[in-house]
Amino acid sequence: MTNKQKPEAVDVVIVGLGANGGTAAKVLSEAGLKVVGIERGPWLKNDKHYSGDELKFVNRNYMWPDSRLTPRTVRRSENDVAEPYPFSMTPQLVGGGTNHWAGWVPRPRESDFMLRSLHGDIEGASLADWPFRYDHLEPYLTKIEWEFGVSGIAGADKTEPFRSKPYPSMPLPPTRWGKKFYDACNTMGINAFPIPHASVTNNLKGRNPFNRTSFWNQYGDPSGARSNTATTFIPEALATGNFELRSDCFVREVKMGKNGKATGVIYIDDDGAEIEQDAKVVILTLGAIESARLMLMSKSPQFPDGIANSSGLVGKNATFHEYLFAIGFFDKEIDDPVYGWAGNYISGGTMDFYETDESRGYIGGSITAASQTCHPINMVFPGRPLWGQALKDSDRTFFSYAMKIGLILHDLPQEANRVDLDPNVKDYMGLPVARITHKAHANDIAMGKWQVDKNVEILETAGARKTIPVYLDQMTGNTCHQHGTARMGFDPAKSVLNEWCQAHDVENLFVLDGSGFPTATGVNPTLTMMANAWRCSDFISDYYLKGREMRLSQPK
Amino acid sequence: MSSKADWKTILEPVDPDSNEPLFFSRDEWNTVEALAARIIPTDHDPGAKEARVVVFIDRYLSGINYVFASADGSGFLEMDGKHAYSWRARISELQQVYRQGIVDVDAASRETYGKNFADLDADSQDAIMIKISGKPKPASVNLGTTEPSTTFFQFSSDDGLPFWPALCLHVKQGFYADPVYGGNKDRMAWKMIEFDGPKSLKDTMDGTYSTADKFVDDYSWGDLIPVLQAQKEYPVPAKSDIIYK
Repeated sequence: MTNKQKPEAVDVVIVGLGANGGTAAKVLSEAGLKVVGIERGPWLKNDKHYSGDELKFVNRNYMWPDSRLTPRTVRRSENDVAEPYPFSMTPQLVGGGTNHWAGWVPRPRESDFMLRSLHGDIEGASLADWPFRYDHLEPYLTKIEWEFGVSGIAGADKTEPFRSKPYPSMPLPPTRWGKKFYDACNTMGINAFPIPHASVTNNLKGRNPFNRTSFWNQYGDPSGARSNTATTFIPEALATGNFELRSDCFVREVKMGKNGKATGVIYIDDDGAEIEQDAKVVILTLGAIESARLMLMSKSPQFPDGIANSSGLVGKNATFHEYLFAIGFFDKEIDDPVYGWAGNYISGGTMDFYETDESRGYIGGSITAASQTCHPINMVFPGRPLWGQALKDSDRTFFSYAMKIGLILHDLPQEANRVDLDPNVKDYMGLPVARITHKAHANDIAMGKWQVDKNVEILETAGARKTIPVYLDQMTGNTCHQHGTARMGFDPAKSVLNEWCQAHDVENLFVLDGSGFPTATGVNPTLTMMANAWRCSDFISDYYLKGREMRLSQPK
Repeated sequence: MSSKADWKTILEPVDPDSNEPLFFSRDEWNTVEALAARIIPTDHDPGAKEARVVVFIDRYLSGINYVFASADGSGFLEMDGKHAYSWRARISELQQVYRQGIVDVDAASRETYGKNFADLDADSQDAIMIKISGKPKPASVNLGTTEPSTTFFQFSSDDGLPFWPALCLHVKQGFYADPVYGGNKDRMAWKMIEFDGPKSLKDTMDGTYSTADKFVDDYSWGDLIPVLQAQKEYPVPAKSDIIYK
């Protein structure tokens, strides 16, 4: 181990530079604060490192964590021994999941913030209201849409709550399979619209969105089309002169001081040197799995069970969503090709099945959207023959004649579903890995069944001649969405963070990713997370670091 | 240790016509080539044999030089540090899985037919593959049915796979991957499924390769989304200001 000089103390240290760390870096450095961002992964450059190589990006995990170096383990219940499993292995690099994502960014709905008020106690679930409402977030949803770049058509989603501005960019034209979806929905009386997309089709903020390759979901984008914090917010933060980025550095502990505040973080750089970075404020934005892991690893005399964990709730109530879908095949002899592999992953979608309808046998609901069936090696085709003439025939027949309609399953929080430290499995540095304990709730299974069957109905209306519905068995972590492991709330006995995602126990520790979400919402969470990270960053610069008070009261 | 961001480009795209193994023995090469030819057989379209899948697999198993092509496809990335360490371990395990798998296939072939796998006729080869896989030969996929499934983790990675699923996955990868890796010679697999993929990886980095023609050209948002016509707050968009049509 080499010795290096201790760096100067700063106002804010941010751990993890993905969607939310990138947002906090921009907002806080633009507010004039001195900020250091520490990222365990590399800083890849989109114009230099990214291209349409299916094998490299989808199969050999070039951008993703290596599951041998940093494994995760999963079990379904308390008495099982967790097995290594690449659960929700979101890319860990500068920009995080915004490097690879498809970029669905629908707005959450008013009901998402008040599930407990709406439904009371649901057996086996730990429903809780959020400590704020849609209206508190709306200005920040708009800021993200305009500053980060979201394409969509205002007014097209008739169920959307109030918005203060339309979108800054038009969506791409519909794909052929998207057109099938629109036509079927119109036949069935369903309100279909372009799913808001974290990408632009114009020169917003000087971007050059030339990528029309269809290498989209799971690939890095060499152009300026995809909204990625590594190409937007992080360069904007650097341009202030107030932000310093340290990539390939692994934070292993948030350090507590004697005064009840965190003093900063301890990290290991790429040369193996251990370095301490002091800061007035520590922000965790590693994603709800790794933020919880770091909190649990940060043990001190004050917090023997992990920092800010007097409630014992750090890691608990984890929710992950699951991507479920149905595939439809058309007949090459009769039908026109739908080119399921083409497009920037999403096209038309609907929110008509989002709000609770108890006649369906469950509470909540899901966003539904048509999406790409992907490229030849990894075509999304459950039951694709493994070998022989059947494999060749089905590839030849269906590659351009398949489409998919999927949904984001809104799983209910359960206290036993959680992230903790695996007692046996260690990462390459000898640190305990995150262990996931998760069992689906009956509501999750019922929701998945009804919604997937609805997808089949839309596919059949669209003219599909064979369908493959994919139902929920158990969570596989296939969405990379992570929430709930440090839930927000007003009562320090029942939550880890307050309404500003500030730890109840440690006033200068903030967790600005999905960890704070008391419930998962039924939409892709990144827009909500980033808007919340911006909102809480404003609190840090305008109130907390100025010594000013600001509290919300329990919303009605 | 250098960051992943700084890995150098080494070597050149793999020559699909090479007959010089870097990893397999000559006999192993022949067995794998014969297995691949039954996994994606040749008919009126080329199969794994013509696409040179055996070259793809041989290069992959030869070490860690052929794991990641450089972004522009001019060569391969030279891994470093912990990633090199991890990939060496992964490839080393796969080498052993393949060596043993090939021994098992040839032993089963000799036991049943008295000849090595590569010397059998196609039906006998299929019979050995059914035995090795422990499952019937996959049946063709037909229209007119609904076939439910449950969530699964699609095997996109080969980490820890036994011989048979690893081989089937690698044959599919070699057949359909960008030709820089040694298979999919002359993009023949893409032609078979009528996928007009990029001529080079570089073409996907600068806008040269475009699939814009696979989108719908003749559309109006007002027709696709009837509620737009009723709402008053925002203008109904006409054909958009999309650049790069």
